[in-house]
Amino acid sequence: MINVLIGFFTATLITSLFTNRLFRLYLWYGINSLILGLIGIVMGKIYNLTELVIMGIVTIVVKFLIIPLVLKKITFRFKISRDITPIIKIQYLTILVPVVLVFTYYLITPVLKTFSTHPNFVAISISSLFLSLLLIMEHKRMIAKIVGFLFMENALFLLGIVSTNGMPMLIELGIFFDLMMFILIINLLFKYQGE
Amino acid sequence: MEFLFIPPALIFILSYFKISRTLMAFIASTIFFGVIYTITHPFVNEYFFVDKLSGFILSVSSIVAVAVFVSMIDLPKRINLKEKSIKRFYRFFAVFWIGIIISILSNNIGLYWVGLEFATLSTVYMIKVKVSKEANIEAWRYLIVGAIAISLILFGIILIYASSKGALGEEAMNFYAFIHNTKKINDYLFELGFLFVIIGMFIKMGFFPMNLWLADIERASIYQVGALFSGILESAIILGFFRFSEIEKNINYSHLIGIGYTYILITLFFVSFLIYRAKDFVRLFSLSGIEHMGLIALFWISGGYFAALLHFAAHAFMKPALFISSQILEQNKKYIFKGTLKNINKFAAFMIAAMFLGIISLPPSPMFFSEIYGFKAMIDVAKDSNYFFLMIGGIIILLLLLSIIFYRFVHIYQDMLYTGTEKEKKIYKSEIVAILILFISTALLLLPQSFEFIEGIMK
Repeated sequence: MINVLIGFFTATLITSLFTNRLFRLYLWYGINSLILGLIGIVMGKIYNLTELVIMGIVTIVVKFLIIPLVLKKITFRFKISRDITPIIKIQYLTILVPVVLVFTYYLITPVLKTFSTHPNFVAISISSLFLSLLLIMEHKRMIAKIVGFLFMENALFLLGIVSTNGMPMLIELGIFFDLMMFILIINLLFKYQGE
Repeated sequence: MEFLFIPPALIFILSYFKISRTLMAFIASTIFFGVIYTITHPFVNEYFFVDKLSGFILSVSSIVAVAVFVSMIDLPKRINLKEKSIKRFYRFFAVFWIGIIISILSNNIGLYWVGLEFATLSTVYMIKVKVSKEANIEAWRYLIVGAIAISLILFGIILIYASSKGALGEEAMNFYAFIHNTKKINDYLFELGFLFVIIGMFIKMGFFPMNLWLADIERASIYQVGALFSGILESAIILGFFRFSEIEKNINYSHLIGIGYTYILITLFFVSFLIYRAKDFVRLFSLSGIEHMGLIALFWISGGYFAALLHFAAHAFMKPALFISSQILEQNKKYIFKGTLKNINKFAAFMIAAMFLGIISLPPSPMFFSEIYGFKAMIDVAKDSNYFFLMIGGIIILLLLLSIIFYRFVHIYQDMLYTGTEKEKKIYKSEIVAILILFISTALLLLPQSFEFIEGIMK
């Protein structure tokens, strides 16, 4: 089950790299977060960790339901252009993505036996970080860069789940709180842009 | 320890009402009750950790914060700001301060990150407080680059946690437990995490290849933001670097030396030439901040703890003072050095000149002593290493780069004092008081008792 979910997690991230419409990017981010939440819930059930299940549910509520809606609202409110054509051409992206994936597998080889979960999961979460960085770099528009950062947060969360079976609850909540503050700051920046 | 959060919390609440900036500065100064109580009652628990090192950094950052609050009393006379913007500035300053205190005193690496993230995000609006197109662009840039840097740090922290969870269990997030159990940690995974952490920290401090991003941001925002960055935010980051590098030192010292020396030498190479070409005070001080952060990191990893801490404290006091002085020096025109020290209050001019020359380690600046001890530590490391000539070559290149910076600063100082025309300049009481606080703090570092105290921190 987790294999399938992690596969879809990477697939949504890779798809979002090729997206050139803003709302489609929000959609992929929402699906990516939903899958992440499900990974948390499933792993929580497998390892009998209630904290992980709770964090999975919170992830779905905040990142799948609230954040995409808030971003959509911001887009309408501040009349942000929805065309986000990447500055890196698709043919280069198709080469870069596998290179990143192979590189992270190579990076993780010396510690393959360390993890209780499948080591592929850790490699995928590290590659998700690099792919999110690529997403930030390939867009000129600020709003797309912000979504890239949110994808990066998801990669961090995935790494936290698969490499350590979840960080302590207080730290996870702190990270969520920071994420909410991040959204608040974005809203403020857009609001007072023309002041 | 809870007392430490009262002044920022009060400032946050009061920022919603009609504010008196003098009252805000007074409230900020009450932090010293909390600081004195905290550093005289060291403790360790799951989340917080007060030792001599964190106590020292907390004291330094509190003095800088109070000086910045004082300098803001007359800020509206310098820059045309709306009352609403000033209120928001105070609000975010309070959040920033809370984040920094959490970061400095945290025993938990996760909590350290949460505090740093708080401080980073709250700074975004502080940059934006000035109404200009540049400030707006730089605020966005700071949000993205700062968020990437902080995410890399978190990514590294998760890997570090994974490297020790098997051996240390729930204590795998504690700095204190880490330092005492380095042999039980998975080396490779820790080093991978450490690499992510230091890259994130180096980006935040403006190291290569992000040399100009901090300078541009500080140029676009009000001068107090530059003072906060160099005196407070970088203190929290460098403390994290100190703690993580101490663990790495016990795991693989040669890797730490190799990565640290190479990265910092490349950074200093670019920074020295950027300083040589700097056309305004803010960029000059900002780039010089990167140089000093590089030196502090180098001294620390070379085992020159006294040198690193003395250099850190001297930089944390002098640089904010220079940023605050910039609003006096640049009041007539921004991109000009000539004659900026002429026709201003003699006492203020003396303090500014002393700080300006002190930052390039001209004796009797505390930086002069820290650099002597620091370079001695670096040579000691070179003597014990298998790459003696390579390391000595690196140290010589470093000295050459520092001499370029020294030359540029002396040249600018001569321009400030001896050339240009005399124009009328205003200087406000609050600015003099703020600079005086930082000037006295710097001078106090030269006392034998201060030397003894700093030397004892890492013993």
